[in-house]
Amino acid sequence: MNQRRHLLVAGTAWVVLSALGMFLVAGMQIIPVIASQEAEIENRAFVLLAVVSVPVMMFVVVGLVYSAIRFRAGGERGDGPPVHGHRGFQTAWVGISAVLVLGLFVYGTIGLVDIRGAQTAEFEVSVSAEQWAWHFDYPATGVASKELHIPVNQRVHLTIQSTDVIHSFWVPAFGVKQDAVPGRITQIYMTANRTGTYPGMCAELCGLGHTGMTMTVVVSDQADLDTWLSQQPQASPS
Amino acid sequence: MTAQLGHHASPDEAIAARSNMLLGVKLGILSEAMLFGALFAAYFVVRADSPGWPPISGFERPELILPGLNSLLLVSSSVTMQLAVRAVRSGEGSRMRRWLGLTMLLGGIFIAVQGYEFSNNGFGLDSGIFGSTFYILTGFHGAHVLVGLGLMTIVMNRARRGLVSREHDTALEATSYYWHFVDVVWLFLFSTLYVL
Amino acid sequence: MSAMARRSILPGPGLTRAVLWAAIGFAIGAGALAFGLKADEGQIFGLGYLFALFGFLLGIGAFRFWLTWAAGREIDVHEEHAAHGRAGDWRRYFRFTTDHKVIGIQYLVTAFLLFFTAGIAAMFMRFELAQPGIATSKDLYNMIMSTHGAMMITVALISIIGGLGNYLVPLMVGARDMAFPKANALSYWMLPLAVLLVAINPLLGGFDSGWTAYPPLSQQANLGQQAYLMAFVTVGISSILSAINFLVTVFRMRAPGMSLLRIPIFVWALTVTATLALIATSVVAAAFTMLLFDRLLGTSFFRATRGGDVILFQHLFWFYSHPAVYIMGLPGLGAILEVVPVFARKPLFAYPLAVLSFISIGVLSFMVWAHHMFVSGMAEFFHIPIMFTTELISIPTGIVFLSALGTIWMGRIHFKVPMLWVFGFVWAFLIGGITGVFLADVPTDITLSDTYFVVAHFHYTIIGGTIYGLFAGTYYWFPKITGKMYSERLGRLHFWWFSIAFNATFLPMFWLGIEGMRRRVADYPTALGTVNLIVSIAAVNIALSVAVFAFNMVRSWRRGAPAGANPWNAQTLEWQTASPPPIDNFDVIPTVTATPYQYGSLGSTAGEGRAAP
Repeated sequence: MNQRRHLLVAGTAWVVLSALGMFLVAGMQIIPVIASQEAEIENRAFVLLAVVSVPVMMFVVVGLVYSAIRFRAGGERGDGPPVHGHRGFQTAWVGISAVLVLGLFVYGTIGLVDIRGAQTAEFEVSVSAEQWAWHFDYPATGVASKELHIPVNQRVHLTIQSTDVIHSFWVPAFGVKQDAVPGRITQIYMTANRTGTYPGMCAELCGLGHTGMTMTVVVSDQADLDTWLSQQPQASPS
Repeated sequence: MTAQLGHHASPDEAIAARSNMLLGVKLGILSEAMLFGALFAAYFVVRADSPGWPPISGFERPELILPGLNSLLLVSSSVTMQLAVRAVRSGEGSRMRRWLGLTMLLGGIFIAVQGYEFSNNGFGLDSGIFGSTFYILTGFHGAHVLVGLGLMTIVMNRARRGLVSREHDTALEATSYYWHFVDVVWLFLFSTLYVL
Repeated sequence: MSAMARRSILPGPGLTRAVLWAAIGFAIGAGALAFGLKADEGQIFGLGYLFALFGFLLGIGAFRFWLTWAAGREIDVHEEHAAHGRAGDWRRYFRFTTDHKVIGIQYLVTAFLLFFTAGIAAMFMRFELAQPGIATSKDLYNMIMSTHGAMMITVALISIIGGLGNYLVPLMVGARDMAFPKANALSYWMLPLAVLLVAINPLLGGFDSGWTAYPPLSQQANLGQQAYLMAFVTVGISSILSAINFLVTVFRMRAPGMSLLRIPIFVWALTVTATLALIATSVVAAAFTMLLFDRLLGTSFFRATRGGDVILFQHLFWFYSHPAVYIMGLPGLGAILEVVPVFARKPLFAYPLAVLSFISIGVLSFMVWAHHMFVSGMAEFFHIPIMFTTELISIPTGIVFLSALGTIWMGRIHFKVPMLWVFGFVWAFLIGGITGVFLADVPTDITLSDTYFVVAHFHYTIIGGTIYGLFAGTYYWFPKITGKMYSERLGRLHFWWFSIAFNATFLPMFWLGIEGMRRRVADYPTALGTVNLIVSIAAVNIALSVAVFAFNMVRSWRRGAPAGANPWNAQTLEWQTASPPPIDNFDVIPTVTATPYQYGSLGSTAGEGRAAP
């Protein structure tokens, strides 16, 4: 069989498998629970990256498997053809890689800017991490709690600090994660868009209690939130 | 047999061995430069973070007179070191030993002056970030100076036994590279830790 | 021999004396602080270790030549020669032997022993993680997890370049040894004490910070943490010395006719690796030294309350540790690309481009470190440029696939065991590379950072690149090193068992990470129990398959069929001399006229996989 036929067969396999794969992946929701604008943006990024990955993966896998089957030496002791390279193929490979990378970079930059979003908020929470628990202060009402309660469809600003080692504030359903760093204040601006209760946890190894350093996060509408806040004890003046 | 320092099968091998050794020393100096680079980077970062310098009141930055003197000493010692290298290349053993000895003396005075300055500084390694960065940089530099003095002692010892000559100058040449490097690091130190 | 003539009751230079003098050194160093000044246990241990290391190296005779030379005394030429060791004398592996082939085997065996030990640590981890809840203890888990990481990182850093590289590079460039044979042996002998520190770590309280050792966690009191930091700096210094050796050897000692673009691709990969090691290692040494000073000398580099900057550590650490992953990966990629042409019987496709891509990877590797810090709280402006450089590095990395695939396409493929590992590599490194893009993209990284997705990603790249490369290279060069053939049957068993187990272990971890399972935890939500159990069972199989490998290596070394000089009919220079090579490698240094990939020309045919009749 000559090169042309090999390329045709392998190429067809590649196109078919890629199309199949891209179709399957395009409709998936990759982040399991989505409760914020940020998580929505991230999920779209996941899906796009997955879709783009499929033909890239299939190219290599088809090349590999096809070669393993078709180009076995069998009993032949002779060598293959003395081909040292192919200018056109090499250039195309590098060129297409560069285009993909550029495209992904632009898309990623837009996504990041969207996720960071407007650096203003209507609801403030101060998050404090220590070995091994989370504390939340609500400055507007003077409430202190071990639970995070935020309003739905409102921009929330979280300022994050640590009193001892590095921790990391993570709520998977919100698609937000930021380290809590001693000596520094870090922040998150986000907008939750689905009411419910979601798990949160520390995402930076902080010692023995790291495994159990979790938190409960509740997204509720304004009325329920106000009720909850009024029922909480006030933070002691410090 | 690979050509190694110490004994050679042929003059070509001796030349190759010398050249390889000097390349190795240059690469080693590159690695040491990265070490100081990291320490300087740390210094710049914490200084940029800090509201003032020194950040904690109660410390004064050292006066410039002693480190200024030290800069003169080290720059001179690089000159004398290079003169020693020149001397060995023209086959003048005793001239070389004299310049080398002078280099060692200047280096030794540098260490003494540094020690004196440190004892009068009024802050230590444990004086917050200011003392930490100051002493880790000057301390590592001082350690490198001491190593340099050690290398020069070895070369001097071998020179006294007639083992250093125009054909056997690798150790002196390598030591001179190292010493010049130590001098350049000092100049960076002086300008960033003391002056800026 | 002069040593025999001077019989003495004191042991001569060697391992026994080294251990003795190490113990004495430790006693002196530690004792000086313990009984002299008021020092805490960290300072005592620290000085004790420094003296022990120095004593060990003195004891093994590492400094003998230099001390004699420095004193200006006569060097004993016979002793110099004898330091190469005599062929067939097993004792030379336990001495300060300067023959690069001995040193290579020392590195390789040490690396594999570490690999097995770290693997057992992983078995413990998977035992704990097989079911929800805490079966052992969180303390023990963190300790073992950190030790597993530290050991495996060391294996990945030294196994190929220190082991195969030391053995093969002089042979492959047509030299009789490395540029600095004594420094080479010194590099090796710096390792045992460092390895000991990591191995006895649990007895010192372990360290629970992970290999990344971020402060402030790593500043919290614990001798085991300090032992790890000291061990790491020791290995770092060893690798810088080794890097100098590789670079001078490759740039100055090549055979006549071996121009830069005729250097075997494996050697190129190791050259770039050595350059990275030379430049980057000092930075992490500085970071760990600052951390040690914070712990021992009261400095405040990483104490926020006293003006220090916690994130500074991460910048310094990752400035080295990102190039480090290429120090780990490039040798594997080089080994793979060296093996492909031999078993596809075709020239290495796009060889000059592959060389360029290795160099580009090296250069770019210094510009991407902060992608480990996207959620660290570092300056916001940094994210976008780092995302760009990180995605950019996938271009040269992709060239590796271009070269491998281009070589096998239309080749005549012989599926000997080394080639199996090549195919396995392509799959595994592909997964590793693709998933890397998800981590390079900041939006997706926010969700994935510090989850099992990352764990899966780096196991796919490091196992796929380094370990598959290590196995491919070890099987491929086994006949050259031992003069015997390994068992193909057992090799195939190892490959399939390992590969199926490896994929079954780490592929589900991508899913686990997306489902929210964090890294470095001893427990997880109950819903993830079934998948974790499957992962644990698969992981045990990795260990079992590696046992098959170990058995094959030992048995074949002792009783394998004779391999002859060139069982694979390969064209690189190491195959043009005996198996194993004589002490000074070649009878006559060959002259090179082309790249070693002239397959398909001059009537060349595949090797028989055994000694030529």
